[in-house]
Amino acid sequence: MLLKRYIPIAIVAFFGALTLSAWFIDNETIETFANDDATQFFDIIAAFAVFLGALNLLKLQFIKVLKQQSGWIYSAIAIASFFFAFIIGFFIRGAYFVGEDVYFSQKAAEAAILGSGSSEVVVPVDWGAHVQTDGSLFQWMFKYIFSPLSATMFALLAFFVASASFRAFRARNFEASLLLVAGIIIMLGRVPIGSLISSWTIMYILAFSIGIGINSYVKNRNVMFGWILGSCGAITGFGMTMGWPIDQPAIFFLPALQEWIYLVPNLAGSRAILIGIGLGIVATSLRYIFGLEKSYLGE
Amino acid sequence: MKFLEDIILKLGAVDRRVIFVLIGLAVLIPLLTPISLPVRETPTTVKFYDGIEDIPKNSKVLVSFDYGPSTRPEIHPMNVGVLRHMLRNGHQIYISCLWPDGIYMALDALEEITDEVNPDNESTFDIKEYEDYILLGYRPGAEAVIKGLASDLRKVYTVDANGNFIDDIEMMDGIKNLNDFAYIYSGSAGYPGTFEWVKYGGDPTGVPMSSGTTSVQVNEVIPYVQTGQLIGLLAGMPGAAEYEKLINVPGIAIQGMAAQSFAHIVIVLFIVFGNLAFFIKQRRDRKY
Repeated sequence: MLLKRYIPIAIVAFFGALTLSAWFIDNETIETFANDDATQFFDIIAAFAVFLGALNLLKLQFIKVLKQQSGWIYSAIAIASFFFAFIIGFFIRGAYFVGEDVYFSQKAAEAAILGSGSSEVVVPVDWGAHVQTDGSLFQWMFKYIFSPLSATMFALLAFFVASASFRAFRARNFEASLLLVAGIIIMLGRVPIGSLISSWTIMYILAFSIGIGINSYVKNRNVMFGWILGSCGAITGFGMTMGWPIDQPAIFFLPALQEWIYLVPNLAGSRAILIGIGLGIVATSLRYIFGLEKSYLGE
Repeated sequence: MKFLEDIILKLGAVDRRVIFVLIGLAVLIPLLTPISLPVRETPTTVKFYDGIEDIPKNSKVLVSFDYGPSTRPEIHPMNVGVLRHMLRNGHQIYISCLWPDGIYMALDALEEITDEVNPDNESTFDIKEYEDYILLGYRPGAEAVIKGLASDLRKVYTVDANGNFIDDIEMMDGIKNLNDFAYIYSGSAGYPGTFEWVKYGGDPTGVPMSSGTTSVQVNEVIPYVQTGQLIGLLAGMPGAAEYEKLINVPGIAIQGMAAQSFAHIVIVLFIVFGNLAFFIKQRRDRKY
């Protein structure tokens, strides 16, 4: 109990309080601890966490393969990929330089020297630097396997976003309609094609939409046509007077409108969330320091 | 009218494979046959550009590559643009990475710039490692790395990405921590990235900083622009395109704008048809 519970709680409370006090106490030792030593501790622990993560990944994937659970073939590929990356990262330099030319193995480099009869020597790439040296196996793996796969996964999002928004983006109620309209304005206003859509077009669309809205409430076609004719006439008259500038009135110009959405309602919402997160962090940190939060002990 | 409604209903129930094909075509065609669309600078991008212009010439600047290949199309063009802009103004660039794959992105960006030639077929930027830039490389630890850099850079980086001792590199003379840089820039695609740089890098040291982010991050990061904690922002690929226009080096971001525009149009059209079909169906259901 003492080792498993009280000592870890005491360590967390002590270091938590010490790190926090560095912001309030003008003491060089405490400041050095919080700014240098504690971050070094964190870096070391983070480095070990990589090993832990790798071992955990292997354990889970091996179990899946051994039990031949559904999708075990993907686990087998994951294990093979892991060992491939591990071996070429830790045991194979994969880049031997003869002047400007780079060879995969020492033998190939030596053979090239023999073949050309030059007096150059083979210079192997330094360990560590080999993972980023052009021509090395690790660099090759990153460029031709990891990058395309990673980019493909992300690119697929566009298709899913399109399909999902088509099926789920419905104006079912006021809130959903607001989200829908804001989403469309942002989508069009952010891209250059949005700046080709004149404010006047948006005003006409708005006039028609309001007309449809009026019709569904008043259920009177005369009122609807009256509104559409009146508003379209007013817009046309107004446009002719102003000379149809594409970005005026700015309130109906999509790029200006999307900017307003970003900088006013979105900003207010984001700030509220950030303040909420900040307060949450303060509360959670205090719970850790006072030993009330014990999730890290598995409780 | 009923005929039109039936067509809309059919469009509203279209198979998702059709959507996939149309989105694919909307992206592919503009990329294969480039279409020029006008790029309009937004205030946040202009502010970003001005922020970099305001750095005193020949300063030391820190550029962090905090993204990987998945978000490369959005972040890479802006990072290449930022490097170009900074090199043009004679700054020395110190490159760090909070993401393990960031170093490859940095290498690619540097290669792209090195390979760039002017109309006289000479290299536009005759850049040399350890004179114009230094690749500090990746360190694990996310915000702890930034906090370490703010306190003592040499404790975080004892060697650079090539394995050379930091203390032996002349370009590192006079660099102790983030306070010794005139500017911090992070090209970020998530965690760790812009948030962490603001909280542990820019704010505590007071060094001016800015960032380039993916479009989805913009709404979260924008409060920092308004408060001045970030001097402008490059918001996704449109932000990169605007920046390419401002630095007068049209690149892949401007080319990509047509593809993004058409893809957005297709998505908006599908949303509109989906909603029209939804309302028609709702009305018919009410009738019967």
